Amino acid sequence: MRTVNIKSFFRVLLLFVLLDALYCEDNNQIGSKIPNLNIRLLSGGSVNLHDLAEDGPLLIDFWATWCVPCKKLMKFLNQYHLDYKDENFKVLMINTDTPRSISKARSYINAQDYKFYVGLDPNKVISKKLNGMVMPTLILVDKGGEVSWRHQGYITGEEVGINKRIQQILKDNQKTLSEG
Amino acid sequence: MRNIIIFTTILVLSTIRANNLDLNGAINSNFGNSYDFYDFSENILDLNFFYNDLQGWVQYEYSNPPDIGFMKNDIRKFRLEYSTDNFLIKLGDIYEFWGRGLLLNQFDDQVTNFDNGTRGLYFEYNKGPFSFSHLNGNSDIWLMGADLRIPGFNNVHSMSANRFHYDLNSMSIGLTQLRSNENHAKMSGPSALVSHDLRGTYASWSGANADFFLEYVDKVSTEKTTMFGSIPNDTLKRGHGYYQNVNFYLGNWGLSTEYKRYTFDRAHGDLTANDYGNQIEFQQMPTLGKEHNSTLLGRLTHNYNFNDERGGQIELNGSILGLSVSAQYAHLSRNETWQSVSASDWVYEKLDGYLPSSNPSALPYWENYQEISGYAFDDKLYFKIGRGANKEILKTTRYFEGTQQDLTINTFWSYDTTDTILFDQEFQIIDSMEVFDTSYSDPYNVESKLWQQSKAITFPMEVNYIFDNGYTIGIGFQYQERKKVNKSMGNATSFNSADSSWNMYNPEDYNETYSSSTTQLSNQDGSVDTQINRLVYISISKAPKWSFTITHDWTNAFEASAPIDPYYNPLEALVYGDYKYFIGKRNNIDPPSWVQNRWVSAEFAYNITSSQRLTIMYGSMQGGLFCSNGICRLIPPFNDGLKITYSASF
Repeated sequence: MRTVNIKSFFRVLLLFVLLDALYCEDNNQIGSKIPNLNIRLLSGGSVNLHDLAEDGPLLIDFWATWCVPCKKLMKFLNQYHLDYKDENFKVLMINTDTPRSISKARSYINAQDYKFYVGLDPNKVISKKLNGMVMPTLILVDKGGEVSWRHQGYITGEEVGINKRIQQILKDNQKTLSEG
Repeated sequence: MRNIIIFTTILVLSTIRANNLDLNGAINSNFGNSYDFYDFSENILDLNFFYNDLQGWVQYEYSNPPDIGFMKNDIRKFRLEYSTDNFLIKLGDIYEFWGRGLLLNQFDDQVTNFDNGTRGLYFEYNKGPFSFSHLNGNSDIWLMGADLRIPGFNNVHSMSANRFHYDLNSMSIGLTQLRSNENHAKMSGPSALVSHDLRGTYASWSGANADFFLEYVDKVSTEKTTMFGSIPNDTLKRGHGYYQNVNFYLGNWGLSTEYKRYTFDRAHGDLTANDYGNQIEFQQMPTLGKEHNSTLLGRLTHNYNFNDERGGQIELNGSILGLSVSAQYAHLSRNETWQSVSASDWVYEKLDGYLPSSNPSALPYWENYQEISGYAFDDKLYFKIGRGANKEILKTTRYFEGTQQDLTINTFWSYDTTDTILFDQEFQIIDSMEVFDTSYSDPYNVESKLWQQSKAITFPMEVNYIFDNGYTIGIGFQYQERKKVNKSMGNATSFNSADSSWNMYNPEDYNETYSSSTTQLSNQDGSVDTQINRLVYISISKAPKWSFTITHDWTNAFEASAPIDPYYNPLEALVYGDYKYFIGKRNNIDPPSWVQNRWVSAEFAYNITSSQRLTIMYGSMQGGLFCSNGICRLIPPFNDGLKITYSASF
């Protein structure tokens, strides 16, 4: 009897989840405020997400040293971090390597001379909370902390679309500012 | 009743959603069906929820059958976590990673079917720089046996572990302890009851231009005696492990050095399930080998020995002229050399010092890898070129270096004649005795060695070009030359058990030596000296929607007998331009000889939305060794089949 109940429960749960997924489609968690998580930085110290998104948009990406597409994308994200610095745009790359590979992450970031923020999430607490278990997962957060776009995976050439998203959010912010 | 459950569930979940309880999850569905009955269907649903300080995780699996493991239609994993400023409590399936894993490193890797998690309770208390962690519960760990897909051995641990951790500025130290009572499955017969007691310590420091990490673990295991409860348990094995990682950073360059020395057990050959009391499944330590992304280099992965291995690895990462440069070198070996003093008896001698040995009887392994990658033409062109070299002594069948003396036995008869008078007559009594005169020759040098080694050189390369209209064309090529030989050398050939001596190669001249190398690779035509592997893939993609890849894998030789391609499929015919296939002049189950030793597959990946992805693969894939986290799995070939993967997160 117990088995039947659990099965019934999960059939319903699965149905709910699928409906939820279909209903939300790309919009899941879009528009909601990002949790104010505290993140330890590779360079030392820590930072919280609301502080980072306080004065400008923030692009969060999850990566690991073994993730080849993540590394291919990083070069472009670093470029956007530098290009839109004056408009308070920031990139936060959250590394999900185990403690065993953290030295590799530091070595890699140093070698590439990347300037974006690099957070550490060895126990995958943040990636679970932000649903970033698939790598790369991009989350674009608007000024103030509202999630405006989410995307998983990377196909070469997608950086063009990412850049357009960033430009759009900066343009919208500029427009709001001039109207205000 | 059923309707009530459905209604309640919908109500609860709807209420949860309405109350802004954070909920996220993922679905992973994999389906496979091949010509030679390699079928699987596995579906996993992960669900996470977050409500203030409470969070939960449930994983449900429906697999009938899975790619690897047992069939399941039930909750596979669950965990409930509650955290406050100072406390963290977890209940359910727990995965912890302390230090660098010499004492505790738990993970669930479904590709190798390795899961050493604990179902139990985890408690953590934090106060400023100090933290204390406690874990206890049971672990039901399955290990692979002879079958490539169904696990064969089940070790059950009842464990508890504690950790003290202290952070002081950029330095941290920790003390760890783990105790486990294991019900250990042997190759046959009743399981053994073994208790493991591990104590460890670690320290780390991080500065602007350098950092280091050190960890040491000591282990004692005892076996419960099956006779009379009053007899104390026997100490079964003692061992220890040490690992250090020192890194230096200067400008755009980083130099990483690692050293390990793991001595939990030793054996001349491979350890089996009957060798227990050594490293346990919770101990998943750094391997000190390069984890490659290249398919061909991945197949050459060394089978790391967590019980008996030492060595070092150096890796340099940097950039020149905007290009990424990486170079790596590793040298590992056992902690001792082994001598075969007879046909079956081996004795060991511990290595001096701390460095690995190059002596073949210590089963050394070398690897070095260099890679350069970067962008050109206004970041439109991405390229990567690598070079990897591996050399490994796989096993020694005979290895003796020493002296022996020839035994010479001269025999003769000794006669003792006595004259006796009996009945007035003179008699002679002759006593005879055979005399053995044993003498030894001067000691002379004997060398008799037979070992198996493999050596390979691999060149992986990849080029992608991004067009302005969003299309990308990619070409990858991997080339590998590999030799696997039995090497024998010396002035003696084999051991003669009858008179306990080495048989000399030339009994007339002991100084005459021999040296030979016999290949262990072959194909349909006979022996092959060098195995040549080639892997080519061509991809076209349109961001952000889809990508299509055709992969062609080819080899000219095998270690065992050459496998037979059981089915000639239209993809192979298309790739080879075999028009006869399409006009009905080919027999599908009698492929032409020129398609043997080749595997062709095509994969189409489509992003349905930014969080849903569908992948369809058709064709054949070569099996081989796959390793992750030092755990290796031999993957069987997949012939003329279809694989469909759907993944979504929400």
